[in-house]
Amino acid sequence: MVNIKAFTLVSAVERELLMGDKERVNIECVECCGRNLYVGTSDGFIYHFLLEEKALPTGTTTFTATKQLHRHLGFKKPVSELRAASALDRLLVLCDSCISLVGMHSLEPVPSGARIKGASTFALNENPVGGDPFCVEVCILSVKRRTIQVFLVYEDRVQIVKEVSTPEQPLAVAVDGHFLCLALSTQYIILNYSTGLSQDLFPYCSEEKRPIVKRIGRQEFLLAGPGGLGMFATVAGISQRAPVHWSENVIGAAVCFPYVLALDSEFITVHSMLDQQQKQTLPFKEGHILQDFEGRVIVATSKGVYILVPLPLEKQIQDLLASRRVEEALVLAKGARRNIPKEKFQVMYKRVLQQAGFIQFAQLQFLEAKELFRSGQLDVRELISLHPFLLPTSSSFTRCHPPLHEYADLNQLTQGDQEKMAKCKRFLMSYLNEVRSTEVANGYKEDIDTALLKLYAEADHDSLLDLLVTENFCLLTDSAAWLEKHRKYFALGLLYHYNNQDATAVQMWVNIVNGDVQDATRADLYEYVVDFLSTCADQQLVWAHADWVLQRSQEVGVQVFTKRPLDKQQKNSFNPDDVISCLQKYPTALVRYLEHLVVDRSEQKAEYHTHLAVLYLEEVLQQRAAPSHSDTTATETQTKLRRLLQKSDLYRVHFLMERIRGAGLPVERAILHGKLGEHEQALRVLVHELGDPAAAEDYCLWGSEGRGAACRQHLFHTLLTMYLQAGPAAPELAVAAVDLLNHHAGEFDAAQVLQLLPGSWSVQLLHPFLTGAMRGSIHAGRTAQVALGLARSENLLYTADKMKLKGRAIRLSDQKLCQLCQHPFTEPVFVRYPNGGLVHPHCAASRHQAPNSPSPGTRT
Amino acid sequence: MRRPDAKVVLLGGASVGKTSLLRRYTERRFSDSVSTVGGAFYLKPWRALHLSLWDTAGREQFHGLGSMYCRGAAAVILTYDVMQPQSLVELEDRFLGLTDSASKDCLFIIAGNKVDLTEQGGEGDGHGPRGPRQVSREDAVALYKKILRYRMVDEKAAPAAEQMCFETSAKTGHNVDLLFETVFDMVVPMVLRQKAEEPVETVDITSQKPPKRTRSGCCT
Repeated sequence: MVNIKAFTLVSAVERELLMGDKERVNIECVECCGRNLYVGTSDGFIYHFLLEEKALPTGTTTFTATKQLHRHLGFKKPVSELRAASALDRLLVLCDSCISLVGMHSLEPVPSGARIKGASTFALNENPVGGDPFCVEVCILSVKRRTIQVFLVYEDRVQIVKEVSTPEQPLAVAVDGHFLCLALSTQYIILNYSTGLSQDLFPYCSEEKRPIVKRIGRQEFLLAGPGGLGMFATVAGISQRAPVHWSENVIGAAVCFPYVLALDSEFITVHSMLDQQQKQTLPFKEGHILQDFEGRVIVATSKGVYILVPLPLEKQIQDLLASRRVEEALVLAKGARRNIPKEKFQVMYKRVLQQAGFIQFAQLQFLEAKELFRSGQLDVRELISLHPFLLPTSSSFTRCHPPLHEYADLNQLTQGDQEKMAKCKRFLMSYLNEVRSTEVANGYKEDIDTALLKLYAEADHDSLLDLLVTENFCLLTDSAAWLEKHRKYFALGLLYHYNNQDATAVQMWVNIVNGDVQDATRADLYEYVVDFLSTCADQQLVWAHADWVLQRSQEVGVQVFTKRPLDKQQKNSFNPDDVISCLQKYPTALVRYLEHLVVDRSEQKAEYHTHLAVLYLEEVLQQRAAPSHSDTTATETQTKLRRLLQKSDLYRVHFLMERIRGAGLPVERAILHGKLGEHEQALRVLVHELGDPAAAEDYCLWGSEGRGAACRQHLFHTLLTMYLQAGPAAPELAVAAVDLLNHHAGEFDAAQVLQLLPGSWSVQLLHPFLTGAMRGSIHAGRTAQVALGLARSENLLYTADKMKLKGRAIRLSDQKLCQLCQHPFTEPVFVRYPNGGLVHPHCAASRHQAPNSPSPGTRT
Repeated sequence: MRRPDAKVVLLGGASVGKTSLLRRYTERRFSDSVSTVGGAFYLKPWRALHLSLWDTAGREQFHGLGSMYCRGAAAVILTYDVMQPQSLVELEDRFLGLTDSASKDCLFIIAGNKVDLTEQGGEGDGHGPRGPRQVSREDAVALYKKILRYRMVDEKAAPAAEQMCFETSAKTGHNVDLLFETVFDMVVPMVLRQKAEEPVETVDITSQKPPKRTRSGCCT
């Protein structure tokens, strides 16, 4: 057990002052009340001293005692006990089994001669039950066997109030309120002298050792227990503190919060009541008295009196902290709550918590440190400032004075151990990240976030980017310099962006992509920049970098124009004409952009549609011209072109027709004819030039889309006619005609078709067509008949209803009674219910309001 | 220091592992502890309450203190060593009498410690002497029922014996949390009930001293 210094022992009364050279005279008892110190001796003298306390600049205290008086009691017996009752200005003196009263300052006996006889020992009640301030309650153990007496002692008289007998001879007593704590010959008990009830505490052996009974506070006593234990017991007979462990031969005990002091023949030991640990041992030989008087602890040998001066609690706490005894320091600090004013305590306690936190931190006990920093509400900058260069240069922070710890910086703390340093930094990262969004950060968010950024950058930590893309308070200049130093150029760009310097940010990223600076944070940085620009509201900036992005990749680069978020105000969008003129140099990008305008944004401007169609067409023609071109399949561009030509109604048809003529693009030409309404021409191109019946059929379907069955029939008939006109010269067209009829039977007017068909065609050949046509015709006829029947029956029902309503006359006369109120009708107005019941209009109205009344329907 | 709301006391013979159990629970570790002198005390916040945990000294020398430690206890954990049959016998002979001063609806829990030393205690680290267990769980259950008779509690009114007998190992931590937390959870409603019943904090020492009971002959 490492000692702490809780008390210092100083001399109060030298032996020369007391008995001079009288060898055989001993100190028997001591009393201290305020500055008055009384000493009783074995030869019947009482000495009165005045104590003067002097604090030395070294922090220690000395006492000088000045002798005031001494008086002999008149007996050759020792003075065994002294107690001052300052309210009465009396000193109670026990000598020769008799308690007498003397004046506190004169030491003269009271004139009345009041005394208590037959006392072996006595105790004052420090928590008196009577309200009278001009008397003290005294409990004496009678020299008569097994009796305790309670007295009220006044200025010059005594009065017995109670006498209680005990089961065994009492040896020592302490009093609190009605409760006596007694050491009997074999056990300690608590006795309530007003009720006479007692409570056993625990057994001990009075033959082996002298009992100690000491009141240590409200309703609590300290007792010498078995095995050298100092036991705590309350008046309820329970123990609320763990015992302290003394030596076996303890003579006396005293309390000076939070310490319990004990005296044995060799030492004074000091235990803490807070954690029951032994805190200090002072060698002290031949001591035989240890007592506390209102917080002052006095110890005496038979020849001299000494005072144990407690060190200020704060000094003790600091000593503990200095020796890294964090737990004990905290316990002591917490225990000091009751000795220190509240505001002062809170300041002190917080500081202790913070100091303790730094001690744990220095030992890399980060969990404990964190908890201490948190509960001590540490200014995080104290911690940040341990790490060199982390605080922004602009920070106004200066460390707390006196300092919370002894370390200049992390280097000193870790003694240059890189591994330890890294651990500290990791802790700081997690700690700052935790506190930055709490109220701890209020007032210096900039310092915290900047420090965090620096740590992340230095450690190459992923959270650096998270920090920069979310709300943060990183200071720009400081952070920028740091990021540059650590080559975090991408992050630097993010920082600029966060600080609304998008131009600088983009330039930074462009430099990385161009390889001017090295930062591999993002492999897809080019795409990132494009994406960034496509959402960037600053058009100037987009224009500035448009060429750069397009030069790298037209397909991707054009996204800065095409991938812009849609907004209603059109604030964010570019003028398409500007974009198109910019994109002239980048054909692929231009096509993409026009597609974006026409397809995605459904721009209605004819120019764009025509432009796009022309670009498609040019590409198709180019592809055709290429030697590798294979004729059969339509290329992707061609499909796109066809789709555009079919879907859009906005391009300039004639203009395109000019361009397409002679280019060998029959399908496209047919579509253009179709757009102009020249269906016959279109079909002719498809049938005669292209020779593709399937394409012709598709054309019929497309051309009539959304224009009704009549149009479609017309197109199909046109096509059929075209097939048949060719005659036997073109047998493949006859086959196409048959297929057309058989596949699209429903699209034709069968009667017309039959007239067109050559007589030579067999019924077998047209079987599917004829069956289909027949079916359709019969179905239509039958459906019409069903509809007719239904309409007729509906008509019949209405006629029947009308007949019913007209059918019967209603007779209203004086004799007719209203079915609800049973009164006759006086006016021609009435209400008739569907079941024929007649009622007054007002009765009908009220019946609707009161639905419980009987309905006329059930009456009739 | 906050005044505890209820007291839980560990009783049992010397070296059965009371201190180790408490240390395992409060400090999450096991270390060879020296013989406890007098007693030790922990304050445990549990739910809204503060419970005081008393570790007592098992040595004969401090036996006289037990009664005071048990006074007003809400729960008593009687601890024995599963490898020492004598330690279970002692619970009945020496320690049961100390609980006379406990609160009248005091809970009794029996904990057989050091199961890591038995051959069945599979969680041990394999070191140290092992042997067949000396005390069976049934013996502990039987003791629990004896206690109920001693306290004159109807067996049906008290918690079931199976629920109140634990086998623990402070060394491995086996069942230690379960033991303490089961006890705490049972103590909390008791304390709340008592608080509701007697809102004024008075101490009536008359009720604390029950008349000496004579043991019924059948229990010996």
